[in-house]
Amino acid sequence: MENFASLLHGFEVALTAHHIALMFAGVLLGILVGVLPGLGAPNGVSLMLPLTFAMDPVSAIILLTSLYWGALFGGSTTSILFNIPGEPSSVATTFDGHPMAKQGRATEALSFAFLSAGIGAMAGVILITLLSGWVARFALKFSSPEYFAVYFMTFASFVGLGGASPLKTIVSMAMGFAFASIGMDSVSGNVRLTYEFDVLLAGVSFLIAVIGLFGLGELLQTMEEGLRFDGVKAKVRPRDVLATALKLPRYWLALLRSSIIGIWMGITPGGPTAASFMSYAMAKRSSRNPEKFGKGEPEGVISPETADHAAGSAAMLPMLALGIPGSATAAVMMGGLMIWGLNPGPMLFVERPDFVWGLIASMYLGNVVAVIVVLATVPLFASILRIPFSIIGPVIVVVCFIGAYTVGNKQFDIWLALAFGIVGYLFKKLDYPIAPLVLAMVIGDKAEDAFRQSMIFSQGSLSIFWSNPLVASLMAIGLALLLFPLIGSTRRGIRKLVTARAAKA
Amino acid sequence: MKHFCIAAGAALASVIAAVVPAAAWQPTKSVEFVVTSGPGGGTDNFARIVQSIIAKHKLIEQPVVVLNKGGGSGAEGYIYGKGAKGDAHKVVFGTNNAYLLPYVAKLGYKLSDLTPVSALALDEFLIWVKGDAPFSDAKAYIEAAKAKPGSFKMAGSQSKDTDQTLTAMIQEATGAKWIYVPFQGGGAAATQLAGGHVDSNTNNPNENIGQWKAGQVKPLCVFSPVRLAKSDPIHDGKGWGDIPTCKEAGLPLEAFQMPRTVWLPAEVPADAVAYYADVMEKVSKTPEWAEFIARTAQTARFMKGKELTEFVAKDEAANAKVFKNEGWVVN
Amino acid sequence: MISRFQAEIATALATLAFGFVIVNGAREFGIGWDSSGPQPGAFPFYCGLLIALASLGTIATTVGRRMGGSAALARVFLDKEQGKRVLSFFLPMLAFVVLSVTLGMYVAMLLYLVFAMRFQGRYGWLPSLATAFGTVAFFYFGLEKFAQVGLLKGPVEATLGL
Repeated sequence: MENFASLLHGFEVALTAHHIALMFAGVLLGILVGVLPGLGAPNGVSLMLPLTFAMDPVSAIILLTSLYWGALFGGSTTSILFNIPGEPSSVATTFDGHPMAKQGRATEALSFAFLSAGIGAMAGVILITLLSGWVARFALKFSSPEYFAVYFMTFASFVGLGGASPLKTIVSMAMGFAFASIGMDSVSGNVRLTYEFDVLLAGVSFLIAVIGLFGLGELLQTMEEGLRFDGVKAKVRPRDVLATALKLPRYWLALLRSSIIGIWMGITPGGPTAASFMSYAMAKRSSRNPEKFGKGEPEGVISPETADHAAGSAAMLPMLALGIPGSATAAVMMGGLMIWGLNPGPMLFVERPDFVWGLIASMYLGNVVAVIVVLATVPLFASILRIPFSIIGPVIVVVCFIGAYTVGNKQFDIWLALAFGIVGYLFKKLDYPIAPLVLAMVIGDKAEDAFRQSMIFSQGSLSIFWSNPLVASLMAIGLALLLFPLIGSTRRGIRKLVTARAAKA
Repeated sequence: MKHFCIAAGAALASVIAAVVPAAAWQPTKSVEFVVTSGPGGGTDNFARIVQSIIAKHKLIEQPVVVLNKGGGSGAEGYIYGKGAKGDAHKVVFGTNNAYLLPYVAKLGYKLSDLTPVSALALDEFLIWVKGDAPFSDAKAYIEAAKAKPGSFKMAGSQSKDTDQTLTAMIQEATGAKWIYVPFQGGGAAATQLAGGHVDSNTNNPNENIGQWKAGQVKPLCVFSPVRLAKSDPIHDGKGWGDIPTCKEAGLPLEAFQMPRTVWLPAEVPADAVAYYADVMEKVSKTPEWAEFIARTAQTARFMKGKELTEFVAKDEAANAKVFKNEGWVVN
Repeated sequence: MISRFQAEIATALATLAFGFVIVNGAREFGIGWDSSGPQPGAFPFYCGLLIALASLGTIATTVGRRMGGSAALARVFLDKEQGKRVLSFFLPMLAFVVLSVTLGMYVAMLLYLVFAMRFQGRYGWLPSLATAFGTVAFFYFGLEKFAQVGLLKGPVEATLGL
């Protein structure tokens, strides 16, 4: 109840014409940097940071968070239209979003993505409003073993998805882990696997891999099949946006499940990327037609998007209350907080309630504004696919390489993206799954660090992973997620064998 | 009143004099600030504050662009600086890692690939324990750690970096022994301590201030030759100035501080070095800089030229000794 | 013409080699388990080993299925027509990368877009040039001027003084 009163006060702070204008400006700029290659949310926020030095902190954070929401939406747009995820957390959106776009259902895919993202974000913000005090205390309970258990859960939910040959899945995932371990190892202070090439010092950026594997690999395959984007045939009608919105309630179960997964991963340190992958995996597992996933199933767009944004907004809370940034963008914003003279931490809620609750209120308003703005742009973006391929194809190539270069301003990264493009093309043609590689690259090094920190804590004893109820239950859920599909498939195998025998006899 | 006018006039004249460049070199295109940490890191905040002050007071005529190159604990940025040999439009921001990294990791650069410009501040280190820990001073904590060797945990950011070096120094000086747990950055080390997962950390003031305000952690002593500047009370009526130095607290350790440094690539014109040193000196005299220093409880100390090279040599030698004892030196 | 079998084996050999590179690079840092858990090289070492073993497994099963006369493996992986189409897209892309590194990204972008539109898309000179210059200008102003993000530049930008 107390929180509710604070929130009302927050709305008073946030609901001014000036702030609403800032939200629109932020969202529009955000969509632009999200869609433009190589800019992305962290870059966009750091670009705007100098402008905010002269603003009061509430206005400044409203501008920056709105920009962040806009960039997240922009990132989903490129995932769906061109198979190029702008942020790690929108990788899972490509799995079904891009097939939908290729089938000429871009409007539907984009509308589903934006609407479910908006719902996810709302779920996250509502949680923050209701449970701010509790979540902050809960997050303090997490140390390295718990971190590891959360990453383990994510992997476990994804491994059992199957479809591809197990050997090829192992190759793909282990390659992801190997790429993630290149560069400085912060636990030991060693520089690993660079073979003394300076360009590898900062590691292989996940974004380069994704640009190559997804963006360029996809283009090569499209060319080989002699296909053009089928979007040419599809008419883009603004009315379709509304029609899609009306279809959304049908997916209430997916929305609910994904919101819960997202919120959970947001307040535990799993983060949006882990949330979106896990949500996709759970949607596929619990679906009655899992074979439709990966071929343009709306639920495969709704689930990761909802979880991504639910986690993204729920993760703002640990950032404010504990001072741990959950993402690169959050890290830049935290730098901003300090420059504006605020110290993120437990006392921020007590010392600057106007700031905190103004921000939370602006998250409600900002997301509504963002969804409205972004839905209005759907017809525009969907029309991009109607441009003939001989123009848009090369432009996408250019966009991919600009993106690759701007990640780290390194010439080497352009070559690396090209190499990943070839790998992506081959892997796709030979049925190597790419998602495990990407997932391993994104959270592989974090999982490794958390594991080794845990081992330093326990001085080499694995018993630390069931040393308290929290970590033990997380590990138990992880093991269950890992083992159930195995048990299921063995059972199916045995049954098949038995029926085959019976048929013979 | 008349005196005031004269004083104001003189101040104005000196400001005008300050704006007219003293050095012959001037940037002819946009200047790149290369930050040797990721976005949001300590060095990133440092560079962005300097950028904002330069923009506000128009200390550099050309636009300033900030570029993060934080890979390999910052080595990426220094190697970038090495690659820009002779290019005075690239300014590298860092800490003492500029000259310490090549000791502990095989990297493609040496200190001689950089030209020192200036240092603007010294960041401080403190011993922090949990807010409800039974230790009232550093001595009591060290004794407790000594009594049960290898069971107390010290959190820090990364391995073979400042936090672990300081932990090694404390161990050497007192005979106590900790399990050192490296996390990703001081923020994580702060939360791990607040959550009670470790027993202490050696964070900079700015990394733990939020937790101290909430009473989740408390400082025992500061590794500075003199006490920190007085400040408003932060928790329980105590401010930065009330924390005893570690020497006062009975730890036989002189000081441990981390300079915030600015570098240029090798083989740049001497005039360019003088130009940037001059700009940085002006930055260090602005009220915005003073405010930043006070808020982050660092120690303002501007160094350039001979003073800086002497400081670097001394700091390098002291750290290198620890690296050798711990067996971290790679070359 | 490349058969599926050839492509499978070639890719598995490449991943096998990658696995060995990782294994070899990881050995330097110790691959055992000491008092504070796994040594720094352990994790990459076992990843590399896993890649190598799984690649060998893929080779073995592929060869096994081939001997068993699997029809899927005998099928065409890439026929001449497809190969031509892929190369017609890949080679200009490679040229774009080479030009980016030598002449800078803006010049490369311009040449690549004009080539793709004029000679591959068979558009007229005017629309080709207009689209290419428009795109380059859009990126130049968007990135360099508005966002202050620099792209790779070459001699042409230097002579123009950009």
